[in-house]
Amino acid sequence: MNSKIELPRVAKGKKPIYLDERSIDNLMAMIMTLTQEISVLRDRLDTIEKLLVNKKSITLEDIETFEPDDDLIKERKDRRQMLLKRVLLPIDKELEK
Amino acid sequence: MQPQPNHDESVRQDFVTDLRAFLTDEIYPKITPYYEKNVESKFIKEKNRKPKDKNEVRDLMLKDNAYQSWSLLQRLSQQMMFTSVIDTVERTLDDLIERSKKNNDLGSLKLDNKIDMPRYLTAYDIHQQPGGYHTESTEDDVSPGVVYDISLPIYSRNSMGSENDLLSQAIIGHIEKYIDNLKPEKILDMGCAIGNSTLPFAKVFPDSEIHGIDVASPCLRYAHARANALGVTAHFSQQNAEKTDFSNETFDLVTSCLFLHETSHDAVPKIINESYRLLKPGGWMIHLDVYPFHRDAIEPLYDFLKDWEVTNNNENFSGALRNMDLPKIFEDAGFSKESIEFTSAEAVAKYTKGYTGDFYLKLPIYLAQKPHRQ
Repeated sequence: MNSKIELPRVAKGKKPIYLDERSIDNLMAMIMTLTQEISVLRDRLDTIEKLLVNKKSITLEDIETFEPDDDLIKERKDRRQMLLKRVLLPIDKELEK
Repeated sequence: MQPQPNHDESVRQDFVTDLRAFLTDEIYPKITPYYEKNVESKFIKEKNRKPKDKNEVRDLMLKDNAYQSWSLLQRLSQQMMFTSVIDTVERTLDDLIERSKKNNDLGSLKLDNKIDMPRYLTAYDIHQQPGGYHTESTEDDVSPGVVYDISLPIYSRNSMGSENDLLSQAIIGHIEKYIDNLKPEKILDMGCAIGNSTLPFAKVFPDSEIHGIDVASPCLRYAHARANALGVTAHFSQQNAEKTDFSNETFDLVTSCLFLHETSHDAVPKIINESYRLLKPGGWMIHLDVYPFHRDAIEPLYDFLKDWEVTNNNENFSGALRNMDLPKIFEDAGFSKESIEFTSAEAVAKYTKGYTGDFYLKLPIYLAQKPHRQ
């Protein structure tokens, strides 16, 4: 069932500028969302790989109902930390000055 | 009552949890050494002294791109949290509303569509939840409550237990340890939102009548359905804690969890006066909230960082609440002076399901007793 209701997506309130100008802040937001989507794609690929190890073909439902075990949860967490480390390296290094 | 995220929504939410962990564990600890080495030392060279207060630190740090990068990322992580959760709630909302209508045998729900929403809730969306606690996007909406409920574990890194109820465990723990003979017949939880901090009282005091009030109807609808789904009897009504419709001397215990700092300078004394009016003689008021300002050894950088939520996460009043003289306000309301106390309470996890225990919580509580009848 698909709801047609649209929920608010932006919070009301002051919007401070953090870096040199608003457009740079917006770029950071876009980069982080892209990073998130890379992570989502990687996890989905991972789910498909894990399912295919045991089966010749899989269904969409197999993917949707897949439950990672504790080891896989940990593996994914570690991989996301590595992804973040790489993406945010310039900021991390700047703070280590 | 919680919706089931699909595969991608689930791992998208996991990413935000891990981003917040990365920012807290990897990036944040670097700020103090960075500040001492780069920002403070430059200031000392120029002025021959350290920055004297948080305002001077703020002037320096807001111009510093390295600090501001962390600050922006921290802010974005909050926005990404809500976006990733809203995807799930929006997709499943019809079903959530249907389920909330069916789940209503236990307790009660009383809404008031003529209530005046206080400006401190409508002027901006607290902690950047889009639409705040109160916005209704459709008839019988429960979405703000659901969004709040499923974002809490992401926000708190799964430290609140599977029923998000760790906060009031601090109040309960304190009562069990320090307040003798409190067997409340009636309990009121102010600013209860989805009732996650209200329900533990029902478990610990099974013979008492539990009430939760809030101004936000979509949260209360969800609170009532959620309580029913969890098999707990509680009475929810849409009321402003500054002035309720309960009679004088109705309750033995009046509480709130992280509520006062989401109100205003004018509202706090009114809420305390109302707490006093509603309590029976000898009854207790316990509000759990932010640490007061004077408790901290004032290190200007620490002081500045502590205010982060105020300007960056729409917690506009939390800084000002720290500076208010709450003991004076309690005393003016009529509470007995010797009972007024500020203390740190330990959250005990024994009533909290799914508590992983890797996150130790000590929470500030403010308490006072209404004098016994002479």
